[in-house]
Amino acid sequence: MTKSNKILSLKGVSKSFPATARGGEPIDILDSIDLELHTATSIAITGKSGSGKSTLLQISAGLLSSEKGEVLFDGRRLDTLSDTQLSRIRSTSMGFIFQSSLLLDDFTALENVAVPAMIMGIGEKPAREKALHLLESVGLSDRLGHKSDQLSGGERQRVAIARALVNEPLILFADEPTGSLDERNAALIEDMLFALVAEKQVALMLITHNAPFASRCDEVYRLHNRKVEVIR
Amino acid sequence: MRSKLALMLIGRKLGIKSSPAAKRRILFNILLISVVVAALVFAQLFVVSMSRGIANKYALLGNGHLQVHEKAGTPIPDLKQIVDVQLVAQTYSLLYSPSKNLMVRLKGVERSYFNSQRLGELTFLDTPLDTKGSSLPQILLSKSIASKLEVGQGDKVALMMISNNSLRPQLCIVGNLYDSGYKELDENLIFCDFSLMDKLFSSKADTYYELLVADNEADEVRSILEREGLSVTSWEEENYAVASNLETSRQAVLGVMIVVAILCGYFISELSRELIEDDKRRIALLKLLGSGNSLIRGVYFSTVMLVTLTSIVLGTASGILLGLNLGSMLSFLAAKSIPALAFYLLDFQVMVPFLDIAIILFVLILVSSLSVLWSLRRVRNIPLLSSTRFD
Repeated sequence: MTKSNKILSLKGVSKSFPATARGGEPIDILDSIDLELHTATSIAITGKSGSGKSTLLQISAGLLSSEKGEVLFDGRRLDTLSDTQLSRIRSTSMGFIFQSSLLLDDFTALENVAVPAMIMGIGEKPAREKALHLLESVGLSDRLGHKSDQLSGGERQRVAIARALVNEPLILFADEPTGSLDERNAALIEDMLFALVAEKQVALMLITHNAPFASRCDEVYRLHNRKVEVIR
Repeated sequence: MRSKLALMLIGRKLGIKSSPAAKRRILFNILLISVVVAALVFAQLFVVSMSRGIANKYALLGNGHLQVHEKAGTPIPDLKQIVDVQLVAQTYSLLYSPSKNLMVRLKGVERSYFNSQRLGELTFLDTPLDTKGSSLPQILLSKSIASKLEVGQGDKVALMMISNNSLRPQLCIVGNLYDSGYKELDENLIFCDFSLMDKLFSSKADTYYELLVADNEADEVRSILEREGLSVTSWEEENYAVASNLETSRQAVLGVMIVVAILCGYFISELSRELIEDDKRRIALLKLLGSGNSLIRGVYFSTVMLVTLTSIVLGTASGILLGLNLGSMLSFLAAKSIPALAFYLLDFQVMVPFLDIAIILFVLILVSSLSVLWSLRRVRNIPLLSSTRFD
């Protein structure tokens, strides 16, 4: 980590999707976006559907490249890194939570959480111990041996949160993490997410439609007309 | 630990702790590849055994493994590799029955000619004829010749002989019928006593020694005999067309088997393509969680190759077992005298051509490895966003 504790920095990032083979105009999504995220802070990106929120998250995480500008993660330009280096950064320093929990279907909850730790090179036993501890902290100690299809939507999302945190990342990218949950489960996940982010001192980039959920972040931005506007 | 994770992922792909559908799918692929491998092994075993069986018929009944073209009485070195030495006289003659005639190859042999090795290559269809009181010499016809001449045991036939530049018939009696199981050989080969040949044809018959030697010792024995100044030929030289056809056929069939193995190897890469196509979301997720392409490629390569190797072991064992139990089926077919199989040898000892099978399996493993590796390039192109776009 750099001395300024700046985890993520976007400078003049622009993105457009090219015209399709069938014709049509290129679609401009983002235009000269500047954004910073510091350790143990949280930012929320809100905006209408199709405004480019998810695209911004994907560019920030190095999952998608930008046409212009640069993305610095922990002081390193993501666009200059090889696939292997990016994989390593995703493994050690980033956690992801999506609207769909995206678990490995034929793995148990415990195994799903242990997998990223094993990818990072941690032995099976310590990886399982870490996974067990995290699953206990999200209230799933009685669901360790259950597979994805034996868990409810809220439980799957809690497994996804535990999995995102297992490698003690510097930053958590959450794209509509409560989007597919009912109100009660959504509230539970929101509380759990902010509690763990505070406890683990992790930076959070949250993409959401939900204004009250967004307002719990330290900073709130809105994507409008391809630009980022500061809400708070 | 990545290797442990890889083992977990391979285990899930192979159906261990997985759904019944996943298990069924892997078992189906194993079964499919096993059947192809079993067919390849069985076909090669059948062809090689049959070729060897035909070669044995020619060597044991036709000419001997080696022939020493020297006068009767010439001493043959007593070598441990030489199993049997017989003085033989042969000539070609017309054979007449009351209704038909046929050009035959007449071999005059001593009683000791039909030793256990040769008796293993033919079947006598009747008990020897008791011809006490008859002055007619006996000849031994094949079932095939007897059928063509429309004669049976005890019937009289006439051999047309050239004697002092004139032709004269010699009446003989059919003492017994034999069947070697290979129609090509049986079609013109008949036997009589060596003394009869000597009496009837004298200088017109070609007299030589037939040698049977231990397996794979023919070349060594030949070189020793030639060093002794003896004129030696092999059964392959005496039956050049047959020997070269057998070798060409064996090589051609091996070539076809190798091509089939290559196609099978390509099919195996289709299995890996199918697995990757089905697992795009899983692969994207693993990449998102930080897994490198090499780990994922290793998992899918190992999975497909484990399926392949399991199938090869099962297929090879099945093919060999099937081949080793071929004898009873062949005997059944031979007994049925099916016209379509008349020119095939159905009476041969089954041998496992390990080298040929090893070549076929090596090609199969090599081609499947390369084609699977080639198909795994697409892992690199699976976008991580496949998982996020899943909804």
